[in-house]
This record gives sequence, C-alpha cells and structure tokens, in this order.
Amino acid sequence: MVPQFTLQAPLKLPPHAVTDHLKQLWEQPEEGYNGSATFTLVVWEPAWLEQHLARLGLLQDAVMGMQRPCLVDAARRAIGAYGLPSATAPLSSTLAQVLATQPGGNSSYDDLRGQAVDNSISELQPHRMITLAPTINGDQPLDALVAAYCSLPGDSPGGSVCGDVLVLRGGAASIATELDMLPPLIPSQLPCWVLWEGALGEHTDIFERLAAPPRRLIVDTALGDTGPSLRILARRIAAGQAVSDLNWYRLGGWRESLAMAFDAQDRRAALGHVAQVDIDVEGDQLCQGLLLAAWIASRLQWSLQTGHRQQDSSVYHFQRTDGVMVDLRLASVPVGFPKPHAGSILGLRLLCKPPGSREFCVVLCGEASGCMRLEGGDISSRDLVEEIVPLIQGSLEAQETRVLAGGHDTTNPLLATTAQLAHQMLTAMDASKT
Amino acid sequence: MAKEGQIDGSNVFMAATLTNPLRVGLRQERVIPPQCLIIFGASGDLTHRKLIPAMFALFLQRRLSSEFAVLGCARRPWSDEVFRQTMAERLQPTIATHPHAWEQFSQGLFYEPVDLQQPEHLVRLAQRLEQVDRQRATRGERTFYLSVSPAFYGSGARALAGAGLLADRQRSRLVIEKPFGTDYASAQQLNRVVKSCGQENQLFRIDHYLGKETVQNIMVLRFANSIFEPLWNRNHISSVQITAAETVGVEQRASYYEQSGALKDMVQNHLTQMLALTAMEPPGRFEPESIRNEKAKVLQAAHLAHPEQPWTCCVRGQYGSGGTAKNPLASYRHEPGVAPDSTTETYVAIKLFIDNWRWQGVPFYLRTGKHLAKRLSEVALTFRDAPVRLFDAAAGGVSANQFVIRIQPNEGAMFRFEVKAPGSGMRSRPISMNFSYDESFGEPSDEGYVRLLADAMLGDPTLFTRSDEVEAAWRLYTPILEGLKQSPERFPVHPYEAGTWGPAESDELLARDGLLWRRP
Ligand SMILES: NC(=O)c1ccc[n+]([C@@H]2O[C@H](COP(=O)([O-])OP(=O)(O)OC[C@H]3O[C@@H](n4cnc5c(N)ncnc54)[C@H](OP(=O)(O)O)[C@@H]3O)[C@@H](O)[C@H]2O)c1
Repeated sequence: MVPQFTLQAPLKLPPHAVTDHLKQLWEQPEEGYNGSATFTLVVWEPAWLEQHLARLGLLQDAVMGMQRPCLVDAARRAIGAYGLPSATAPLSSTLAQVLATQPGGNSSYDDLRGQAVDNSISELQPHRMITLAPTINGDQPLDALVAAYCSLPGDSPGGSVCGDVLVLRGGAASIATELDMLPPLIPSQLPCWVLWEGALGEHTDIFERLAAPPRRLIVDTALGDTGPSLRILARRIAAGQAVSDLNWYRLGGWRESLAMAFDAQDRRAALGHVAQVDIDVEGDQLCQGLLLAAWIASRLQWSLQTGHRQQDSSVYHFQRTDGVMVDLRLASVPVGFPKPHAGSILGLRLLCKPPGSREFCVVLCGEASGCMRLEGGDISSRDLVEEIVPLIQGSLEAQETRVLAGGHDTTNPLLATTAQLAHQMLTAMDASKT
Repeated sequence: MAKEGQIDGSNVFMAATLTNPLRVGLRQERVIPPQCLIIFGASGDLTHRKLIPAMFALFLQRRLSSEFAVLGCARRPWSDEVFRQTMAERLQPTIATHPHAWEQFSQGLFYEPVDLQQPEHLVRLAQRLEQVDRQRATRGERTFYLSVSPAFYGSGARALAGAGLLADRQRSRLVIEKPFGTDYASAQQLNRVVKSCGQENQLFRIDHYLGKETVQNIMVLRFANSIFEPLWNRNHISSVQITAAETVGVEQRASYYEQSGALKDMVQNHLTQMLALTAMEPPGRFEPESIRNEKAKVLQAAHLAHPEQPWTCCVRGQYGSGGTAKNPLASYRHEPGVAPDSTTETYVAIKLFIDNWRWQGVPFYLRTGKHLAKRLSEVALTFRDAPVRLFDAAAGGVSANQFVIRIQPNEGAMFRFEVKAPGSGMRSRPISMNFSYDESFGEPSDEGYVRLLADAMLGDPTLFTRSDEVEAAWRLYTPILEGLKQSPERFPVHPYEAGTWGPAESDELLARDGLLWRRP
C-alpha cells in the first residue's frame, strides 16, 4: 500500500462554499487541468478504532482511515492493555466500542482521512473522491476540505488528467445535515461507488441516503454485527443494486481450495453425496461462515429446511436434490491470536458418503490456525484430502481497486445467490429462537 | 450509461456447471478496465466469427466492465442498428442460449463508417470516439483492432497515428492481425511503419496459437517444475518434433492460401512460436519483456539445418485426392479458387538446429499440413536411450522415453516410459502417463481469441509477438523463401494422398537421421 497525498494542501472552506469552489475549479481550468471522466468515489470512513487509539496515545501516527499493519498492531496492544479477551479480533467493532468508554486520553493527532489515497486507486484517476469523516467528538462542527488532485506524473498520460478531493469532517450529525450538498457534486453520467467502511447497521440514516441506487456499493460484512450486516447486504442485492462485499472476497482462498479438491474427475461425483459439512469460525461474528456455507449449499442446489442453535454452534439441515438430508454445522471457536477481521474461517470439513464406496472427507485448514478439531472423528477410516488454505494476499485497498477498476452495475450473480441464502439461514435461526 | 441486467448465474456459467459446480465463476481473472474496442473490418469474417463472440464470452463471464463499448468500423454505410442486427444474425446459436445477456451486451455495440484511406474519416472517428466515451463512460481507454486486409496494416496504423488516436501511450493500444509481413524484408518495413506510429508497448501482434492455454502451459510445465528443466537440454534430449496437423483442406480460403502456403500460414508464426517456447532459456522473471527477450534470443540462435542448401532440410507437399468412396476428398488443385497447376504447398516439413549451449546438435523437426490423417498440435521431446540396455523389450526394440505436450485436441501432456512387462521374465514395455487439461480441472479453458483480446485490452503483451521476434522468425526461413524465388525447381511440391500423414519424402527427411515421425 502506497498512500499518495493530494498535490496541494487542502483548502478549508465553509461547507456552503464548496459547490461554487469546485464549479469554479472546473470552469476555469488551468492548463492541463481538465478532469477525468472516470467515476466518483464516495467513502464513509468512520475509522472509530483508529481515532480512539490515537486519542488514547496507542497509535502514534496520523489517522488515515486505512487498514495499515500499524493499526492492527496498536489494536492488539489495546486488547491486552484493556483486558479484553485475547480472542477479540483487532478490527472488530467490540474493541472500538470498549475504547469509546475509556475516559481521558487527550493526545492530539492529525486527521488525514480522505487526503491520502492508495496508489492503486489513484492510478484509476477517480474524477472525484468525497470522504465523509465523522469524528469521535459528535459535536464537532463540520469542516470541508477541498483539493485538486493528480495522479503521480508518469502515471497519467500527458499529466493532464486530474480530479478533486473533498473531505467533510465533523460530528456525524453535522455530516447528516449537509448531505444534500452531495448529489449535485456527483455527475450523473459517470458511475459512482459508495464505499461504506463502517459497520453495516450503524448510522443507517446516512447509509440510506448515500447508498441510493444506481450508485454502486462496496461494503464489508466483517465490520458489523452478523444480523444487520447480512440483512442489509441481502436487501440491497435483492433490490437490484450492484453490491460488492469485501468479506466475500476474503473467502476467495477457501472457495478456490474447496473447488480444487473436487477438480479431479474421479472425485467430482462425490459432490452429489455430501452428508455433512462443518465450518469453524473465529468468534461469534458469523457473516463469513454463513457466506461460505450458503455458497456451498447454493452451488450444490440444496434447499434449506431448518436451523437451530446447539451450544456454540448453529446447525442447519439442508435437503439435497436427491432428497437426502445434509447436516451443516457452523461453530464459533475462540482463538488465542485471531485474524484482524472478526469471524474469519478457521477450517472446513466436508464429508461425502457415496453409496457403495468409501466415505470421502475433505478437510481445509487455515494457514495460520491449523484445524485439529476438524481432524477428529475417525477420519482415518475415510479417503482423506487435506489442504492448507493460504491467507489471502493483498490489502483491502487492492480489493477495492479490483472493484473500481472493472466496474459492474449489477451484483456478481454468485454473491447475489449466496447472500440471499445466507440471509435465509439467519432468518431460520432467528425463527428457531422464538 | 446502459444498465447491465441481472444475469442469472446458472445460465451465465452453464458450460462450466457441467463440470465442477464449485468452480463456477471462481476464476479471479484480471479485470479488464472500462474501454472501447474499435474494430476495423467490422463487416468482415473475423469480426463475427471470432472477435464479437470473444467479447460476448468475456461479457458473460463478467470480465468486461459495464462501461465497455465496441465500435465497429468498415467502409460500408451501416448504422449502429444494422451492425447489432448483423452480429445478432451471425451469432444466432450462441445468442439463443443467452437472449437477455445479448440484449444488454448489444447496447454496447456501435458502428461508424470509416475508410482507412480517407483521412477525414479518421477525424470524424475521433469525434465519434469522444461521444462514445461520454455515452459509455469508457474513460478514454481504447484498443484499436486492425482486422482488415494485411495490405492496410501499415497505412491503417499511419492513418490512426495521423489523427492523433495513438498519441496517448498509456491508454491507446493497436492490435495487428496475422500475417505480419510476407518475408523478412516486408516484416522489417512494416515494423518500421508501425513503430513510427506508436511505442512497442502499444503494439500487439496477434498469433492466435499463443492464446491457447497449453501453449502457455509449455512455459509453466518447464519453469514451475524442477523435474523437467535439468533434463531439458542436449544431454538428455535427442530430438524434438513439433507438429500442427489439420484434417481440413483449404476450404473457402483459396485466394488467401494460394499466396501464402503452409510455410507462411503456419510455420513462420505458430510453429515457430511453439519452437521458441519449447527451446527458450528460463526468463529471469515472469514478466512480458523478460519472456519476449528469451524468445527472441532463441529464435536468433535458430537456423535451418543446411541454410546454404535449404532444399535438403525442407520438404514441401501438396494434397492430392483421397478419402473414401463415401467421403471423397478433392485434390488441392481441384479446390475452388486454386490454379490447376498450383505449386503452393499445403504441407511442409523442416529441420532446424539451435546454436546454443542447451541445444547444440539436437535436431528440431517442424511439420504442418492440411488434409492430414488427424487434427492435432503437439510438441514431442524424445529422450536419449538409457546408456546401458539391461532389459529386452517385449516388442522387440526398446522405445525411447518421450514427453509430449498436446496443444490440441484434448489439451494435456503425456509421458512415455518403460515398465516391466507382466510375467516371470524381465522384459520391458512402454506405457504412457497421461494428463488431460479438461479432466483435471473443473472447467474448460478459454478459446484463443478470448484470452488474446482480454490481454490486449489489459495491455499485457506477454502473448503477443514483439518486433524482433517477428523479424527473427522470418529471417529463419529466408533461405527457403529466397530459394523458392530463385530456383523453385529445387523445392518441388510432393503430392500426398489427402487424409494421410504427408508425402513419403518427409519420412525420408527423418529416416536419414534414423528417426520416424510420430503417428499419434
Ligand atoms: N478470418 C479469419 O479466420 C482470419 C484468421 C486469421 C487472421 N485473419 C486476419 O484478419 C484480418 C481480417 O480478416 P477477415 O477474414 O475478416 O477479412 P474480410 O472478411 O475480407 O474482411 C475485411 C474487412 O475489411 C474492411 N475493409 C476493407 N477495406 C477497408 C478500408 N479501406 N477501410 C476500412 N475497412 C476496410 C471490409 O469491409 P468494407 O468492405 O465494408 O470496407 C471488411 O470488413 C486479415 O488481416 C486476416 O489476415 C483472419
């Protein structure tokens, strides 16, 4: 990740002066400043955790709104320092919520949210980037920062393609008040992405207004609680909006490894005889686990029958196309050194019982975690395929860049089907509780 | 901006569902940035047979962004609607299975009448492109595709450059179809022209063989596995055979083929690319320029077995009649559009050497032909015999170990080695260990043009031939081309029966070295 700063120091303006200022900038172009006809990117960047860590002096760096290694390290230190269970995921909302209740800590820090852009995104030459940066002090009045912006010389042909950057920084309430200034700043003929870097289910009023179709949404279901995250994801997709979920991208290695186990033709038939699936996830944020389960079930055309809780597990019954039932178990497992995001997959076991031949078992384990638990249960009597799933390489920004670089105005059909089923699984579980 | 419809997943990925359902949609392909593909020759054969189907395949796989456009150009005065309609008619069977997707896709198709020889048309084209950019938000990214007669490659490139359409080095690319030149001198001349119009990194010279997954797999097999590379040299390999055999005849392409013949149509480009990938040194890094450097180097080190007497290492053939009573095959000279006394070769076999440390003294045999016994392309490496013969072979002589990379059909690889024949004796017999692409992976691989178009639009030149490669490839065969001009009688076309493995003289070429062509 190479952050790149705006060329000029941003100009601080009263919010009402922004529209005119930007208009002027484009109407009287300096030489070579003609703006790129690419896309607009609107980012909701609360960075609560980063702000609290900075306030409490646990992060010695400016707040940038990027998931940098130093942020994860600082978060891990805070988990120890404030006596949270070691199974707490550093980037989970739990930690930010706990830190919010900690008094004191008046360290001053620079807030550079929206002013530094990942190089890979800047190379795409966004026409306009608008960052909404709510402050942890909810009463803070709104500042607007504006800067012209060019990607590094050499990246841009003839150095002429530029865009601009707008940051609205202040308490969430004051941001909400000024939201109406945004639509005229988002050209309707260019695609617009809304990158929601906060938890889904938080500040829903702002979310609903920002994320209106046909704007395309990028969310991360790992950041919020399971229920609201999956519900919002499924609802938006069902309404026909283009949605990308970064948590779904993080599942890539698991999906690839599982598919690989069945690539060999002599194993492919076993997919029709899956009898049991076990998925272990870190902690009790279940979005990633449910997405993986729903992806398997939908690809194999199983239909969901029931779901219920059993100790630390969610147990689902699916029916295969041949009428046979499949047990799918999603277990929350506390781990000593969790991955940055809550609910990361720890391991997966898939048991096939083809009639007339030996049982066939696939065990996939995360690179860093191992999966002793899934290796139990007399697996030696079965044909076993065991694979290590490599950690997904590449930053969050790289995934965002992928989405922005080859834009789609519809949701990937695989995610669409998967998210709907994951949501049904959630609903089935809720229903079983009542 | 056109709205891309909700595509039903099961429908989109239908072909793959027949294989491994978990594979469907899984490939994390590189994303093709929003852009406009401009096809010159949009009313021609290649456009509806390959280019538009390839774009539609990319669309179905969601590898095209919603912000894409195809601007068809040719002289005839079509409208956008006529272009869409014509493509729809010609692609009917494919479209019938994806009517909704075609509906969405075809909204991105546009047409502009352009005669590449009229500069004012190019000015109008530039304006139209601005308009398409705005309409489809294609960000000024452009890939120009010259799918016109080779006679227009140079003037077409000049016309584009003249209208300033190649000025943006980062965002404009030019794809040039094959053949690139007709001999060394014309290839050099064409290179001079196109290089004066744009940078090498903007130029994409097509060789559709390079779009085949197994051709690319030659590199992966060689350089991703430590078991092959130590054996891949003169110490262990005694000879190499590279074959591209077709069962079809000249079909409707006589007017082109009469001018070209097998040497220019297949050997100079496709077979030579296969030769380069098979024989090149490992690149320092897997990046376009390193790979192309190594390919160019090995081609520069290659030469005909007897450059001074090229007729001794080159056999030309022409198919006569053949086939069966039920399915008779006409001779080449009786094909429509072919001169009754034509001396165009439909078959050619060539022996080469490569003068470097790795390959000194190892003969490389190349052959290609039409109306041969089987449709197949492969590279076969024959290993030296074991130094001491300890066992008798069950079937007489011990057969040498062979490693065969199959390009088509049934892409894959085969390794032949000796094992003990069952029974109480210690006799050996050969067996084959087979790997098949389609069976081993849960999905079929892309057709050549899909891959090549995607790479060109991504600006990745790895699978395209660089100017020095093209020139080295032409230079390699110059002694034959010159000889054909100066003393054609030394290069007779030997007739062969259609549906067989070519003329007997070709077998003699190998027999002189104590070898046989593979008849797989
Ligand atoms: N077809 C194949 O399978 C195949 C395979 C390998 C390589 N190629 C190569 O691909 C290229 C195209 O082949 P093709 O078979 O499609 O040829 P084609 O059917 O003869 O088409 C030629 C196209 O060029 C257009 N054209 C002719 N003069 C023009 C001009 N002055 N300005 C603009 N457009 C002009 C023609 O349309 P108008 O008459 O309307 O202008 C027509 O659309 C050739 O270079 C060929 O060597 C083709």
